[in-house]
Amino acid sequence: MKQARRSNAKAGRGKSFGEIRARADEGNAVVMTAMEFKEYVRANGAGKAAKEVDIVTTGTFGAMCSSGAYFNVGHSDPPMKIQKAWLDGVPAYAGLAAVDLFLGATELDETNNMTHGGAHVIEDLVRGKAVRLRATAHGTDCYPLREMDTYVSLKTMNQAVLMSPRNAYQNYVAATNSSGKTLYTYMGKLLPEFGNATYSCAGELSPLLNDPYYRTIGIGSRIFLGGGEGFVVWEGTQFNPGVARTPRGVPKRPAGSLALMGDLKQMDPEYVKGLTFTRYGSSLGIGIGVPVPVVDENMANACSVTNDKIVTGLFDYAQQRRARPVLRDVTYEELNSGEIEVKGKAVPTSSLSSLYKAMRICEVLKERIVKGKFKMTEPVEKLPLDRPLVTLDVRTEKEAMK
Amino acid sequence: MKSKLVLSFNPEASNLPITHNLIAKHGLLVNILRAEIDEVGGKMVIEVSGKPEGIKEGIGYLKESGVGVRPIKEGVRRDDEVCTHCGACVSVCPTKALTVDPETKKIVFNEEKCVACGVCIDACPPRAMEILI
Repeated sequence: MKQARRSNAKAGRGKSFGEIRARADEGNAVVMTAMEFKEYVRANGAGKAAKEVDIVTTGTFGAMCSSGAYFNVGHSDPPMKIQKAWLDGVPAYAGLAAVDLFLGATELDETNNMTHGGAHVIEDLVRGKAVRLRATAHGTDCYPLREMDTYVSLKTMNQAVLMSPRNAYQNYVAATNSSGKTLYTYMGKLLPEFGNATYSCAGELSPLLNDPYYRTIGIGSRIFLGGGEGFVVWEGTQFNPGVARTPRGVPKRPAGSLALMGDLKQMDPEYVKGLTFTRYGSSLGIGIGVPVPVVDENMANACSVTNDKIVTGLFDYAQQRRARPVLRDVTYEELNSGEIEVKGKAVPTSSLSSLYKAMRICEVLKERIVKGKFKMTEPVEKLPLDRPLVTLDVRTEKEAMK
Repeated sequence: MKSKLVLSFNPEASNLPITHNLIAKHGLLVNILRAEIDEVGGKMVIEVSGKPEGIKEGIGYLKESGVGVRPIKEGVRRDDEVCTHCGACVSVCPTKALTVDPETKKIVFNEEKCVACGVCIDACPPRAMEILI
């Protein structure tokens, strides 16, 4: 097997996903974290890396607002078709049969000044806590109960599944503030007069930046999700692969993203965190790890990308418009240095994405693959490369159908 | 010798010329890092420089005057169980008390540099920072 693989790689044919997976199953795969792999390529070149290394583990941990979870809380006696529901005071969507609820990460508790939301309830559940479920219903002949006030936990629920429409963004913008007052945004606290800049991407460690054209990550890919295992289930919302790219193909603006699912009951609070962005609301901090198979030299080149070669745009959040003008392009190496220059001023920077946790996820995923505890899967469907991004505008019924 | 102190005043002590007395009577250099006053008294963060005995006497004078004196370490606390090491706090901290370790990428909190201004408190998404004064 080893011989065949090497000769294939030498012949420029690369290794198939199946060959790599088989080697991993046998415990023979060469697995490196994204950090190790970049060092390896720097020292040995992409050609050798493609022959010698099978899998690169990538990771990210950050605020991912388009996250949520659905639950089946079980049937009461008498039964109830829940119409409205609150989990620890946070409204959950109940328009799904009788006892299925969906809780969004940014849904807010209506009573406490935007500091507690769906994300915090999800974290509390993962921590093993019980949360209060209040529910009301109209009452029907088949579901007569109209009110319920009880406690639920992951142990009392049939299913508790993280289901996120958009996670693991392939690149994200950097934010600053030209105005004279502090702005409180989903990009954190932005100090006046270009007082700071924030960014939210793990850069060279981030999964989709290591597979910029989605050659190996697709629908059906098994991933590390919140400490447990999950899957890529669809392209993420706002999937926008057509943005400008660097000569290496790395998107210079937010591009692809992933819709993900995984069993909340497997997850670890270390990687599932309720976050509060002051005067914006709540968001879910979630840890994601994706193994990338090094199928050929092109893939080795893609995975060797480093922060100095990954660019994003710095935008002025004082401009309260959809299309803000870009102030400048900036590399993740510059952003990670702690200071960037904006209009002649040295501006301190903050990552909103935990690079410490991203590195940890790369290491944990590597360990799981090496020990045979994590089985890679080949995508059953590719992510699209031709998806346009549309906007919401005021339009007539006729215009909407054009 | 330098020492950073958090002072808390009741309304009566708020009217005392304590900064003047620390300078004039105890020969200390006083740098006021933060000061505020409200209905229930006042708070001040100062850095005093001078001879060790002068600082000791100065602290004695403050306590005799009814001023609460605490070392700065008790100004802001980070809950390490809650911190995710993202770094949202790093760029808002005016004294660079919060920095990124270049190797581990963990966020390091240097309490010696902290002036308890509180700017990091509402900048922290997991709410790991707490102001105690």
